[in-house]
Amino acid sequence: MKKRIELTINGEHYEFNVEPWRTLVEVIREEAGLTGAKESCGTGECGNCLVILDGKPVNSCLVLAVDANGKDILTIEGVAEGEKLHPLQKAFVDHGAIQCGFCTPGMILAAKSFLEKNPKPTRMETKEAMEGVLCRCTGYVRILDAVLAASQEMMQENKTATKGGK
Amino acid sequence: MKKHSVVGKSLTRVDGIAKATGRAKFTYDMELPNMLWGRILRSPYPHAKIINIDTSEAKKLPGVKAVITAKDIGPVRYGFVDTPRYPADQLVLATDKVRYIGEEVAAVAATSKDIADEALSLIKVEYEELPAVFDPEEAMQDGAPEIHDEIVPDRPCAWEDWGVARKARSYKAENNICAISQQGHGDIEKGFKESEYIREDKFYIPSTSHMAMEPHVALANWDPSFQKFDVWLTHMGYEVKRYWLARALDVPISRVRVRKAYVGGAFGGKIDPFSYEFLAAFLSRMTLRPVKISLTREEVFIACRLSHRFIINVKTGVKKDGTIMAQEIKAIDDPGAYRGSSPVVLFLTHGFRRPIYNIPNAKHEGIGVYTNKSICMPRRGHGSPQMSFSVESQLDQIAEDLGLDPAELRLKNFRKKGDVLPNGDTLHSCGLAEGIQKAMEVSGWKEKRGKGRDKNRGIGIGVAAMFNGAQYYPFGAAATMKLNPDGTFTLFCGAIEFGQGSDTAMSQIAAEELGVGLDDIILVSADSELCPIDHGNWLSGGIFVTGEAVRKAAVNVREQILDFASGWLEVKEDDLVLKDRKVYAKSDPEKAMTFAELMINSIQARNGDPILGKGFCKPVPEVEFYPSLSKGTGRWTNAYTFSIIIAEVEVDKETGKVKVLKLTSAEDCGYPINPLAVEGQVESQAVQGLGDALFEQIIIENGRIVNPTLTDYKIPGTLDIPEEINVNHIITNDPKGPFGAKEVGESSRSAAIAAIANAVYDATGLRIKELPLTPERVLQAFMDKKE
Repeated sequence: MKKRIELTINGEHYEFNVEPWRTLVEVIREEAGLTGAKESCGTGECGNCLVILDGKPVNSCLVLAVDANGKDILTIEGVAEGEKLHPLQKAFVDHGAIQCGFCTPGMILAAKSFLEKNPKPTRMETKEAMEGVLCRCTGYVRILDAVLAASQEMMQENKTATKGGK
Repeated sequence: MKKHSVVGKSLTRVDGIAKATGRAKFTYDMELPNMLWGRILRSPYPHAKIINIDTSEAKKLPGVKAVITAKDIGPVRYGFVDTPRYPADQLVLATDKVRYIGEEVAAVAATSKDIADEALSLIKVEYEELPAVFDPEEAMQDGAPEIHDEIVPDRPCAWEDWGVARKARSYKAENNICAISQQGHGDIEKGFKESEYIREDKFYIPSTSHMAMEPHVALANWDPSFQKFDVWLTHMGYEVKRYWLARALDVPISRVRVRKAYVGGAFGGKIDPFSYEFLAAFLSRMTLRPVKISLTREEVFIACRLSHRFIINVKTGVKKDGTIMAQEIKAIDDPGAYRGSSPVVLFLTHGFRRPIYNIPNAKHEGIGVYTNKSICMPRRGHGSPQMSFSVESQLDQIAEDLGLDPAELRLKNFRKKGDVLPNGDTLHSCGLAEGIQKAMEVSGWKEKRGKGRDKNRGIGIGVAAMFNGAQYYPFGAAATMKLNPDGTFTLFCGAIEFGQGSDTAMSQIAAEELGVGLDDIILVSADSELCPIDHGNWLSGGIFVTGEAVRKAAVNVREQILDFASGWLEVKEDDLVLKDRKVYAKSDPEKAMTFAELMINSIQARNGDPILGKGFCKPVPEVEFYPSLSKGTGRWTNAYTFSIIIAEVEVDKETGKVKVLKLTSAEDCGYPINPLAVEGQVESQAVQGLGDALFEQIIIENGRIVNPTLTDYKIPGTLDIPEEINVNHIITNDPKGPFGAKEVGESSRSAAIAAIANAVYDATGLRIKELPLTPERVLQAFMDKKE
C-alpha cells in the first residue's frame, strides 16, 4: 500500500515510503524530522504549514506527499545559511515580529516567496500577500514592519552583490 | 531616578533566533522513542445516558496497545474550581452520562495515528438520549432538564490541599445553578434615589475561541523504574497542572515533572486541566510507553474551552453632570455543561471594573447556569471584555443622553492614585486621568467626535483594568540564581514563555540588578523539577510577582558579591560598583575583579560555598489565601493596570461592514521593562478585541458548535487590522513592582472591544447591544432605526 517517493528538501535528497493519504506536512515533520513547519488547522486555512514547493508557496497540509514526488521543497530550516540569518529572519527578530513563534516559519516563508516576486512592495501589497498566514499573537503590525524592512535590506544586499561583479 | 541599562530597553527577544529558524521546540513538535499516539472518542450527543461501552473490537486491532474507559479508572474528578463550596464537577472520562457534544468517553493508544483513529471507530457506545437544555434562562426554570446530580466529594478539595482549613461539601445544583455571586458596597437604593438620570440596558455576549495557533497537545512518559511521569504540555503554569496530574493519577506530586517546551500561544485557553492531559498519562502508565495526544483544530474548538457567554443587565444612575451615583448589575453566565471558571468570572466581572470608576453605591449579582454546551474558561481578561463592553457602552449612551462628552464623563468619575477600593486594595499607581488625556490628544478626539456621521465615520473610547497577580495556588513565585565560573549567571524561574516575552523580561530584570548584559543571563525556565514555585503566567502576575522574585534573587546574589568583593579588595561595600561582569571601587577603579575571578576566589576562600541566590514574592503579602469570590470581599491584589483605547471606524451603510481605521492606546503598565514587548502585547490584544467586536463568535445550534473551523470562525488577518495602532506608554512607576513595572496586555482587549462599539455608535447613531457587530447586525440595526 505504501508508495516510494523522492523529495529534495532544503537541497538534500530524501526517499520515503509513505501511505498515499499522508500529507506533505506530516512527511516533512515526522519522516524528515523537520518540525519547523506547523500544522495548526489541518484544513488549509491558517498557513502555518506553508512551505515553498518548486518555487511556489503551498499549504503543506493540503498537499499529498505522493503528489510532491520528485519536487523541490524549501522549509524554514533551509532559509538561513548555516548560522547566518536570512534578512527576513533577522528583521522578524529585530522588529518584534515574533511572539509565540508558532506561525513564524509560515510567515517568513510567505514573505520570502512574496518578496521574490515583488521586491519593493507597499504596505498594502504586503498585507494582501500575507493574508493567508494567521497569527494570533502579534496583531500583524510588527510582521508587516519586518517584511518591509527586510525588503529594503535585501535590495541593498542585491545592489552590493551586483557591484561586486556577481 | 537611577538610569537603567537593560530594563526599559526594547531589546530583541532571547528566543527570537530559535523561533525565526524553526528550531524552537513546541510540545507539538516533541516525540520520544517508542512513542504511541493517543486519540479520544467524544460524545456525539449534548445529553445522554451511557448504557454500555464495548471496546472488544478496538482492543483486537493490531497496533492498539491500550483502550481506556471510565471503567478502567473510575470517576476521576477534576476542575478549575475545587473549593469547599464548589467541588470539582468534571470527569476525566464520562461515567454514567455525557453532558455536551465533545465530552471525552474513551481513549486509545496505538502505534500510529491511523490505527488509533481506526480503533476509535471500533468502539461501540450505546447511548440513551436525554432532554437537553441550551439556553441559560430556560435552564434556570423549574422543570428544566437537570444536568448534574448531587456531587459528593470523595476526597479533600484542592483548597484544603493548599492550606485552607475548610472541609469540602457536596453540591446539588438547584435549577442548574452552578455559581452565585453577590457583591457590592454602599446603599444602592439611596444611590438611585440621589440620581437625576437612570438608564438600564441588557447586553449579550457570545462565546469566542482563544485560537492559539498551537493546538492543544500532551506528551506523557511514565517511567516505572523511578515511578515518575515526565510530561510536556502546552500550558500556562506547571504548578496547577502537576497538582491535578498527581491527584488524578494518584502519585505524589514530586513524581510529576512538567518539562519546558515553547508554547504556541495561550490567551487563557491553556490554564484548565484537560482530560487529554490525564489520558496521555493514564495511557502511558498502562502501556509503559510514551503517549502523545495531539488534538485537531475541531477538537480544540469543541473541547478545549471557550470564553464565557454572558447576558448582562446594567442599571446606572448619575447626576446631570455625569457623576455616577449607583450601578446595579445582573449577570447570567452560561459556562456550559461543567462549572469551568464560572464562580471566578462572576467575581471578576465586578472585580476588574472596581478600580476604574468611583461608584459610591454598587450592587452586582451574578448567576452561573449549567447548559448542555461546551465549557467556558478565561480568555484574555476573564470577564472583563464582557463587562467592559456592557458598562462602557452604557456610559457612552448616558453621556450622549445627557449631552456630555463621553471622555469627560469618564474623566470625572475615574479613580486616582491612593484610592482604596471597597475590598481594601489600594491603587499605589493609577494612570487613568493622564492616559485618557493623552489618548484624546493623540487621537484628535475633540475635533473628531460627533463630527463624522455624514461621512459614516466615528470615534469611540473604551476603558478597562486588570489585576497584577492574585491569590491562587501556589500563592507566590520564587527564583534562584547562581554565579558561573565564566562570570555569567544562571537564572531558574518557573515563568513560562508562550509569546508574551517572559523569558526576555525575566532575563532583563536579573541582568539589570547585576550590571551585566542580557547575554550574560542563562535562563532555565518553566521546568517544574529545576525551577522553584511559580503561580503561573495566567494571573497577569508574570512581571509583578515572578519578575519581583527574580529581581530579589538577583539582589541576593549581588549582596553576596559585594560582601565577598569588599573583603577581597578591601573596599567598603557602598564604594563598589557592579558593571560589565566586574566589580570595582568607584573611588579607585584599579581595585577590581571580574565575576569569573570572584567565583574562583570565593570558592577557595569560602571553602566551596558557592554564590547562590534566591528571591520570592507573593501578590498580596499582607493577607493569607483567598478573598471571597461570592461576596467580593477581601484583598485581591497589590496593583492594577489600566488601558484606554480610542477607536476610529468607518461603517459601510450598504453592507453594514465596519472597518477599523485607527486605534490609539494609552497603557499604564507602570514601567515598561521592554517597551517593544509591551507595544507587542497591546497591539496583540487590540487586534484580538477587533475580532471580538466585529466578527468572532462561536455559533451553537442544539448544543453543536456549527463553526469549528477557521473558515467559519474568522479571526483577524492582515487585511483586518487598522492602518495605525498607536501605543502610548503612561509611566506611573508602581512602588510595588520590579523597577515600577506592572502587567500589560489583558485589559487592552477589553478596552478595544468597547471602543470599537462606541465608535460604531458615533458613526451611525446605532447602539448595538450584542456582540459581535457583524454586517448583518449593523444592517438590521439600520433597518430597525428607520422603522
